[in-house]
Amino acid sequence: MRTMPELPSDPSGDTELVVACREFVELVTEHLEGTLPDEVERAVRTHLELCAPCVEFLEQTRTTVRLLGTVPATTLPPAAKDRLLDVYTRLHGGRSAGGA
Amino acid sequence: MDDELIDRLRAGDRAAFAELVDGWSPALLRVARLYVSTPASAEEVVQETWLAVIGQLDRFEGRSSLKTWVFRILENVARGRGRAEARAMPWSSAFPDTDGGPTVDPARFRGPGDRWPGGWTVAGRPQTWVPAAEDAAVAAELRRQLGNALAELPDRQRTVVELRDVHGLSSEEVCEQLQISPANQRILLHRGRARLRTRLEGVYRDREGRDEDHA
Repeated sequence: MRTMPELPSDPSGDTELVVACREFVELVTEHLEGTLPDEVERAVRTHLELCAPCVEFLEQTRTTVRLLGTVPATTLPPAAKDRLLDVYTRLHGGRSAGGA
Repeated sequence: MDDELIDRLRAGDRAAFAELVDGWSPALLRVARLYVSTPASAEEVVQETWLAVIGQLDRFEGRSSLKTWVFRILENVARGRGRAEARAMPWSSAFPDTDGGPTVDPARFRGPGDRWPGGWTVAGRPQTWVPAAEDAAVAAELRRQLGNALAELPDRQRTVVELRDVHGLSSEEVCEQLQISPANQRILLHRGRARLRTRLEGVYRDREGRDEDHA
């Protein structure tokens, strides 16, 4: 039988789901995505209330995602974009001016 | 939101179209690369896609979002092109990502015999990142390392992380584009992000090491 350590003992005496740090780090993405089952999400929130290092870990993950949003991405060359805009204006452009 | 945009596009609002091209071309280019083998081909696919969008704008019925519609056109264009280039799409032969197991070094957690099994060890605890990632003292190095780490990710993880976090596609959009299940998408996203976080943590740890050397 698995012995439960003296981690947050449950006052109600019910067997409540407990998340350890080691488990939290594998649940962090689902926590951020909001896709955890309710019971697990509750356990994760309880854990975060008690565990500063895991809050730190969560913050680092958020920072990573935020930085990824600043990674420069390739786009179309300006000349290609201009050509597209010209084609667009030729085809749709006249209409705003009174539908002529 | 779509309706208003489509009205503007159909009315010949050049600025609206320019905004669309600016906003979606990077993600379209990224998705195109899944089908064709060179950046130049991907560029052509995206241009062809926009030309098709321009040509078919009046026929768009709004049964899907505009974005989904545009990406579907891309898919068709790219697929034809990909066949011409005789390049099989790696995603359709979807083999599972082989690297399983924990994403954080197990040595950083207390063992089963410990009073708090699975809790961080003192040495293993995540440390606050100081200075903050946006601080000029670290920002350039973090971005450089992030770019490198991204390039080193397994293909599938990299694709999902780029589409989600670099290009801002939603999980639904990524699943649709890559034809993968939501669960699979989350696993790839999780494993990819975990590696990138670890790399950034390494940047901070190296900095700290240097500071101590200087002390």
